[in-house]
Amino acid sequence: MIKIDKLCKSYGEKKALDNLCLDIKANSIFGLLGPNGAGKTTLISILNGLTTFDSGQIQIFDKPLSKYIKDIRQRCSLIPQSLAFYDNLSVKENLDFFAGIQKIATATAKKNIGYAIEINRLDSMLKQKAATLSGGQKRRLNIAIGLLNNPDILFFDEPTVGIDPESRNEILDTIRSFKQDNKCVIYTSHYMPEIEKICDQVAIINAGQIIKQGDICSMLEREMGNQLIIELYETPIAVLQECCELFSLLTVINSSCLQLASKKPEYISQALSLLENNNVKIKQVNYANTNLESIFINLTSKGR
Amino acid sequence: MFKSMLIKEFLLVIRDKHALAALFVMPAVFILIMSLALKDVFNEQKAMLSLAIVDQDSSETSQEFISSIQGNKLINSKLLNVDDHKGVDQQNVQFLILILEGYEQEENKQLQIQVASDVSQTVLLLFKAQMMQIIMQQKLASLHSLQQSRAQQMGFDIPDAVDINENDIMNIQYAKLSADEKPTSTQQSVPSWIVFGLFFVIIPMSTIFISERKQNTLMRLSTMNITIPALFAGKIIPYMIINQLQVWLMIAVGMYIVPLFGADALTIGGSVTALIVISFALSLAAIGLSILIATVVDSVEQATTIGGILNVLLGAIGGVMVPKFVMPEFMQEFANISPMSWGLEGFLDLFLRKGNLSDVLNEVLALTLFGLVLLFIAAIIFNIKIRKVS
Repeated sequence: MIKIDKLCKSYGEKKALDNLCLDIKANSIFGLLGPNGAGKTTLISILNGLTTFDSGQIQIFDKPLSKYIKDIRQRCSLIPQSLAFYDNLSVKENLDFFAGIQKIATATAKKNIGYAIEINRLDSMLKQKAATLSGGQKRRLNIAIGLLNNPDILFFDEPTVGIDPESRNEILDTIRSFKQDNKCVIYTSHYMPEIEKICDQVAIINAGQIIKQGDICSMLEREMGNQLIIELYETPIAVLQECCELFSLLTVINSSCLQLASKKPEYISQALSLLENNNVKIKQVNYANTNLESIFINLTSKGR
Repeated sequence: MFKSMLIKEFLLVIRDKHALAALFVMPAVFILIMSLALKDVFNEQKAMLSLAIVDQDSSETSQEFISSIQGNKLINSKLLNVDDHKGVDQQNVQFLILILEGYEQEENKQLQIQVASDVSQTVLLLFKAQMMQIIMQQKLASLHSLQQSRAQQMGFDIPDAVDINENDIMNIQYAKLSADEKPTSTQQSVPSWIVFGLFFVIIPMSTIFISERKQNTLMRLSTMNITIPALFAGKIIPYMIINQLQVWLMIAVGMYIVPLFGADALTIGGSVTALIVISFALSLAAIGLSILIATVVDSVEQATTIGGILNVLLGAIGGVMVPKFVMPEFMQEFANISPMSWGLEGFLDLFLRKGNLSDVLNEVLALTLFGLVLLFIAAIIFNIKIRKVS
């Protein structure tokens, strides 16, 4: 659905995107992760035609973005992080305005407004001024406006900032439901548990480049599959460091914990023997419990 | 699309009490106050001088002098006791005339005149002219009666002196007005406050525009294929209609409300078509300035402060606060830099000089060009800013 090839964008001397390549498939919820200044916002702005790019190719719906920007925009929607609507208009007036300014047939607009209201559970507050809505309700209105053109691709830029956990879960459920409606969601957030919860594909972007991309489950499995945690009784760090020097797959985590970067039986046996020979008392051995956050931190902290 | 933008802008303005006050209430109140405050400026029957007289001479000549003053419709006078020694400021008058003992007898006895410190040069000149007129008539009358008595002694008659009436020797007519018409304070003040009021769109317009920019609503509209010209048109059209409502509301105040308070009613002497055309041109100039301010500044507070200051400055320079005709020549030239001055001249051509479209064409073109140039600059700045935000 979205194909990006060798995309480059610079602001003066600073490279915001550096030969970035990305492939986002239809009917998926795609998480875009990256530290501040990594290039996420620039990428989203380019994909929405708000910023130009220096070189590279972007194809959306198999059409080059530069040439078919207006057509592509009609099938996409950006839900910005800020609450981009009018506080002094009611919920219904906001929806009518944003539907009215887009070239949508009246009957279709009516249907789309109905869908946006229903899926965001806004029916009971249609006459309420947007300014008087709660934080979660405002976020839902922000999303509802993005649905008025019945888009095939939805870009979410941190849509749950500053709201309570209950409202956040409601919004995440709504976003998850878009997959059932055959929509593609590109989701950027700093909340890793959110990404883990709703996304099926993820790309980690750092310094304008994609440094990891793939299916979340297999990415987690791969990271977990290669690691064991050996819990110990309190041992002097110097002793543990000596063991690690003798066996390179071992890493000291702290004075009562070591990490073994393999789960092959022969390596486990070697590691345990070495520890026993050095009078290190073992409590238990567990699979490492990793998550997206630790992968993200591990990857993005490299090279700093 | 424009229908939606129109509805949105109207709803936002209607729900903003401050905007309504700035756009409709403030100029209407200004028109009422200024029309009433200045209603006597064009009234020739109104006393413009106030004076007190102390007559120490109590002679026939001094009595005649006092009765001439008392009969002058331009002068409010009061006669004081000779032992009243309060000065001009305590008497609460502009002038205090002391007729010294011996005024009638001694030829070179001067009138002693105290002038209040807040009397302007114009009022002093008017006072001098009135005094000279009264004294000259007195002297002419006395000369005539002397000649009459001499003639009688010589056995022949000479005719009685003729009273000189200004209407017998002068026919005053205002340019482009009929013989019985005079400019009124309402005709002068309504155009000024229409022009001033129209420029107050700066405040609601820039407030809404900046909020849209800050909340990324404009960025969202860009992703909905709304171009900058369409976006600007979506602002220009509703505010032009709002400006038209302002113009006709203020004209209605001048025509129907002001007379209820005793001032003259407004009449549209000139072409109504020309009035509509020039108000649209003025509207475009005001909207151009509003959008430029809204794109240049970064906060609503900055917009309201800069907008307010600019409005008052353009008004003061352009002859809204102080009419251009009372300004010195170099200030009148300087006033021409203000678009409010162009608009005001156009409106005065229509309200005061019964002009038509050709009379206001220069002003219309200047205002339209001014508005378009500012919109063009605003579009360039806005384009740069929205790309930076993205």
